[in-house]
Amino acid sequence: MPNYYEEISQNVITGQLDRVKQLTQQAIGAGNNPVEIINQGLIPGMSVVGARFKAGQMYVPEVLMSARAMNAGMDLVKPLILSEDIPSAGKVVLGTVKGDLHDIGKNLVGMMLESAGFTVINVGVDAGPEKFLQSIKEHQPGVIGMSALLTTTMLAMKDTIELLKEEGLRDKVKVMIGGAPISQDFADEIGADGFAPDAGSAADLCKKLLA
Amino acid sequence: MSRSQYVRANYQVNATPQLKMLSDDQCENVLNGALEVLERTGAEIHSEKALEIFRKGGCWVDGNMVRFPSHLVEWAIRSAPSRIVISNQKGERTMFLEGQNVYYGPGPTNTYTIDPFTGERRRAKKSDTVRAAKVIDALPNISFAMDCGTVMDVTPTLSDVHAFQAMLENTNKPIIHWGFGIDQYQDIIDMAAAVAGGLEALQRDPFILLYSESSPPLRHSGEAIDKAIFAAKNNIPIVYTPCTFSGGVAPATMAATLVIAVADSLVGLVAGQLVRKGSGFVMGGLISTMDMSSTILSYGAAELSLLSAGLTAVARYMKIPMFSTGGCSDSKVIDTQMGIEAAFSILIAGLSGANLIHDCGYMEYGATSSLDLMTMDDEIIGMVKKILGGVLVDDEHLALDIIDKVGPGGHYLADDHTMAHFREFWAPTLINRLRFDGWKAEGSKTMAQRVKEKTQDIINNHKPEQKPESVLKEIQAIVDRAEAREANKR
Repeated sequence: MPNYYEEISQNVITGQLDRVKQLTQQAIGAGNNPVEIINQGLIPGMSVVGARFKAGQMYVPEVLMSARAMNAGMDLVKPLILSEDIPSAGKVVLGTVKGDLHDIGKNLVGMMLESAGFTVINVGVDAGPEKFLQSIKEHQPGVIGMSALLTTTMLAMKDTIELLKEEGLRDKVKVMIGGAPISQDFADEIGADGFAPDAGSAADLCKKLLA
Repeated sequence: MSRSQYVRANYQVNATPQLKMLSDDQCENVLNGALEVLERTGAEIHSEKALEIFRKGGCWVDGNMVRFPSHLVEWAIRSAPSRIVISNQKGERTMFLEGQNVYYGPGPTNTYTIDPFTGERRRAKKSDTVRAAKVIDALPNISFAMDCGTVMDVTPTLSDVHAFQAMLENTNKPIIHWGFGIDQYQDIIDMAAAVAGGLEALQRDPFILLYSESSPPLRHSGEAIDKAIFAAKNNIPIVYTPCTFSGGVAPATMAATLVIAVADSLVGLVAGQLVRKGSGFVMGGLISTMDMSSTILSYGAAELSLLSAGLTAVARYMKIPMFSTGGCSDSKVIDTQMGIEAAFSILIAGLSGANLIHDCGYMEYGATSSLDLMTMDDEIIGMVKKILGGVLVDDEHLALDIIDKVGPGGHYLADDHTMAHFREFWAPTLINRLRFDGWKAEGSKTMAQRVKEKTQDIINNHKPEQKPESVLKEIQAIVDRAEAREANKR
């Protein structure tokens, strides 16, 4: 029985969306285990991409093309698996804080997290503490990530952390923060669990926080 | 003195070196692209006030989406002044934002600053803006002030107001300044009016330009667009700048990046002109590429210079004063990379004829400000200004009589003509041209060391001209009022 895994991986690496879909379909048709298709085909390809990006051998748009190709394969396989069996590195709620409309960086983080195997719930921009709270109650993520571009809006990050404390949820979820004006010092000051300076390291941070 | 014996016809002069990044046809093409984007795609506006102004002005408004008929945008382009004269704080008209006049200055709101004495990279304090304003005041080629870092040791929502006070107290140069919102803008205008001798005097001879940033692509926050409206209402000129980077918030091609930048500038322009026909508007802002490895918005890229010069060409085509970028770097320390990036961007921005060229002293892709870099930029600008002066060709400068008088094998060192002209050479203040032994005798200092010494010397010894005690008191009263207001909000 041909399993197509190596070829799927290669086409994830080169970002060939149509080819990944075709091969994944063929792998399914040939009777391969859907979880195996993910774990031995799609994700290993993306792992190579992650490593190459870190080594400066791949650029962001190429990584995103690979992520898109991987996700196209995932979309075909997922309906065949019980949701609790879908491999996921963890759930992350992401949002740009209240008063801030800047979301390019945050969206990039989302895509990087997805490509590292995380399930991402994006609550969008101008997200106040209540929005994060509601999303935590609804999705039970392991991590919430807050983003801000402005030195004024970054202060809103603390409000969310305070609300989580009031609601007794602070120790149930890890908080990571990022954005142009954010630093490790600021993360320590407001009591966040982690800070990532860029999208690539945000995925590493998530893994560390959930380990 | 010999005179030319022939009659000249159609004699053409290159008074300065020429750099026109785009032809008029290309500018028209970019502008038409922006008009099409505004009419077809439209822009997202997050302000009820602005939506109402756009609706009344004849735009198509659908929820937060506003589409702009081209004729309205073209009307706004024509209605804005092609020249804005900015005074210093003593009311002397010093910056003529018109034609291809260029004025250099620093930038705003860096997250960090490098302490010029300890070399530490840290959050900026109010005392850092005091230092920055002193250095700005002392450097001859820095024409205007900006805050060089967001002040973090004051009431957070009044960082802008405190930085403005620090600048007012330590320089008399014009100031371009940002504000968190309308309340702070009012504080800033009131403080400026106190210096100018009343609001009307400030409006007649403004020494401030307000500064507002939209969030491209085609998205304008309430604060950003409301500030453009506020500036127009108060008849104070505004710099309305999207921060457009290729591959991130604009397509990965430079022409399309220009289209987005122009379109986003025009949104602010239309708002201002609808509020007050003829209100002063400066377009431009940061335009560069996103580095696809590190995802930084590059301040040292060749594309920063190309795109800035391209945007300047389009602004000039529309006859709108331009706010461009130069003297900045992605480097983290004073090093060769910093010198290369700063020099190229200062030169190209100068050659492009952009009226205001900001971000001198920006290092680390804009995250950090450095007064040392600003001091070095001052030297580079001096050099570039000399280059922009071109080569003067006339009978006096051709000096044929002198050449004949001295004759073959002679020298010109002691000639009156040399005496009359050698001071036209640009004389360096930091660049070192000593012979080896002289350089060694002075301590074998590198450029970085000489820059550092000059910066520290200015901070320690420069005494800016002080404002009258009564004006300083008035400014302090406005800061106190702002503090009370913010305390009530909490």
